[in-house]
Amino acid sequence: MTTAAPIIDLNLMIPEIFLFLWACLVFTYDLVTKRKSGNAVAWLALAGPVLTGILTVVMFSAGFYGYGKAAGAMFEVDPMAVFFKIIFLGAAFFAIGSSFGLLKNRIVNHRGEFFGLILLSTVGMLFLAASREMISLYVGLELTTIPLFVLAAFFKDDRLSVEAGIKYLIIGALSSALLLYGMSFLYGLGGTTDIWQWKLEVARIAGKGEGVGVILTLSVITILAGLGFKLALPPFHQWAPDVYQGAPTPVAAFLSVGSKAAGLVAFAKLMIGGMVAFWDPVMIPNDWGILTAILAASAMIVGNVVAVRQSNIKRMMAYSSIAQAGYIMVGMVALNDFCLSSVAFYMFAYMFANMGAFAVIALIEDATGSCEISTYAGLSRTSPALAVTMTVFLLSLTGIPPLAGFMAKYYVFAAAIQSAGASPTFGFLYWLVGVGLVTSVVALYYYANIIKQMYFHDRPSTSPITFDAPMVMVLAVALCGVVVFGLFPEPVLQFARQIPPPYELFQH
Amino acid sequence: MVPVTAYLILAAVLFGVGALGVLISRNLIILFMSVELMLNAANLALIAFARAVNVVDGQVVVFLVLTVAAAEAAVGLSMIVTIVRNRETINVDRLNLLKW
Amino acid sequence: MIPVQPEVGVAFWMLAFVIIMSGAMVVSLRNIFHCALCLIICLSAVAGIFILLEAEFLAAAQVLIYVGAVSILIIFAVMLTSNLAVQKIVQTNENALVAFVICLVFMGGTCALVDATHVWRYTAEALPANNTLEIGRQLMTDYMLPFEVVSILLIAALIGAIMLAREEKT
Repeated sequence: MTTAAPIIDLNLMIPEIFLFLWACLVFTYDLVTKRKSGNAVAWLALAGPVLTGILTVVMFSAGFYGYGKAAGAMFEVDPMAVFFKIIFLGAAFFAIGSSFGLLKNRIVNHRGEFFGLILLSTVGMLFLAASREMISLYVGLELTTIPLFVLAAFFKDDRLSVEAGIKYLIIGALSSALLLYGMSFLYGLGGTTDIWQWKLEVARIAGKGEGVGVILTLSVITILAGLGFKLALPPFHQWAPDVYQGAPTPVAAFLSVGSKAAGLVAFAKLMIGGMVAFWDPVMIPNDWGILTAILAASAMIVGNVVAVRQSNIKRMMAYSSIAQAGYIMVGMVALNDFCLSSVAFYMFAYMFANMGAFAVIALIEDATGSCEISTYAGLSRTSPALAVTMTVFLLSLTGIPPLAGFMAKYYVFAAAIQSAGASPTFGFLYWLVGVGLVTSVVALYYYANIIKQMYFHDRPSTSPITFDAPMVMVLAVALCGVVVFGLFPEPVLQFARQIPPPYELFQH
Repeated sequence: MVPVTAYLILAAVLFGVGALGVLISRNLIILFMSVELMLNAANLALIAFARAVNVVDGQVVVFLVLTVAAAEAAVGLSMIVTIVRNRETINVDRLNLLKW
Repeated sequence: MIPVQPEVGVAFWMLAFVIIMSGAMVVSLRNIFHCALCLIICLSAVAGIFILLEAEFLAAAQVLIYVGAVSILIIFAVMLTSNLAVQKIVQTNENALVAFVICLVFMGGTCALVDATHVWRYTAEALPANNTLEIGRQLMTDYMLPFEVVSILLIAALIGAIMLAREEKT
């Protein structure tokens, strides 16, 4: 009964270990400078994701780091993991970069904790992206969310913020309980915690009579409910607007991109990696594809329609991000060769546009103290550059060519239509794409409403907005990303296409 | 004789009771307790499966889940301390999870 | 099927009864302090079930972590919001009936399905006699990675909890 200790190939974990050490450095620096460090700690934290990214690239080209497995079969660096790691690091970079304004008056104490917790949450996301086994996936997901509970409640004297934190905590715990209960059935079926073994086992028994199908359905329903809470897909979305509104704006941005991408990775690993064999509409009529399609359609409809009625821009962005999750799920249920690559590219493009828009919101909130949409009236008169930037981000979120958001929507819908055309059992995807196109028009309405406020109001409600250096950097990077990857998506897409097709996920 | 299915049914009922609490409760602390019931049901199912499959890795999983639950509870309590310090109530009626 | 002694069956049904009754009381009693006490009873009974499933280490961990730490934290939370401990709370809201029906259907369905399915990979062998040793070994070998990640998580939770609960000097 002796098992040899698996050789943990630390080379493959360099990004995770480096970022964790960097987070410790941020905590320590804040401590030894007796909290008088000014913005230095924020700059230090900002260097974390950047250096991690650079280090990874350098190690990769030097051959110290590459695709492969470590720690038994628990940890695997594959193209999907690398792609999503870039998204997580990017989201952390943007979130930290747009937090500098908070340091002036909102976050006076505990700066090290604020930035350090963002980095620790990112470490969890990186581990999650590379996990290929149930418990490391669960633990990675929890390491992602527990710091986010604290970050959402970071304004301790602000009632809304603490309420947001506690709501998010309850939802997070509920979501992990559902997820765990669903995974326990797969564990019972497969007899192991390895997701790849689950897939083999599910494929072996999926057709073996109604009892198995129903157990799998039960497992699918609970896992979908758990992930539905994580991704805020209606009817599990009610927490999102409250949490986004109460949380500090950069944290809300980080939630809408980082936490959403984490939920997507978990979805891809569990549903596509573990239960792709349970996606056979001929054998089992109530499989997870239809349920996910219903969730996606309700997300697009509810998110876009309710967003129209919002007067607070953070609530509007919350509903908008619910709708965007719906578009992403359209790509996910396509389940053909393009499905994961289109999802990954969508998330990549969404990161630039959404983090950029939230950076502008944070900037305006720091300057005026308000998140109402009416604050944006006449912004083009007082700060024309900012108005143009915001317009570009909003147009990209709407999906107007030639911006990155358009290419992203195009690839997601193209994947769905290709899949629908290839097989009659995927015919419902036509309906789903139809819903997506119609709701995009609704989305145009509320995004354009902000543009209208900024350009067609004679009486500006704000004085000119001043920028600080990190904010200029964040906006410039986001703007470049939105424009460049809209015009030249090919390099990123080529990388995204290395992600294996659904049936081969976890195979090598 | 207690078959494994008996343990699974117990887990399912406990999970259902917890879910009922989550759906109907108005009080935040009760909500949290109901979630803990659901989490315990999941742990119960995992250990029953581990026993059925005759391996201990299910127990390792539950051990890690317990740790995570403790961390979550600690963060939750610190938030309640913050709320109490601000002299606010925590009867969050607006936390209606299934409101459309 | 696992071969067990008859007294295990008696113990199981008693513990199951305690778990379900106390669980139901957690979600239905009107005094929040009583709810917390019922939760402790329920969690202790779950620890008893763990012993029946030959997971002694987990039973101890359950008592230490859940009964000893989580429940105490919850009781602290109840006491801090002391007006609630006395006051009667309303445990239902407008979707109570719907929720009740959903949960009954879910429970009934789950029980029926779990009972009807014989796909679990049963083995009749006993677990390794000293499975605490085996857990320790697996935590240090196969499950090294999640073990390490959980320790990062504990650091994050510790820092976050201290930061939130700390009194600010103005």
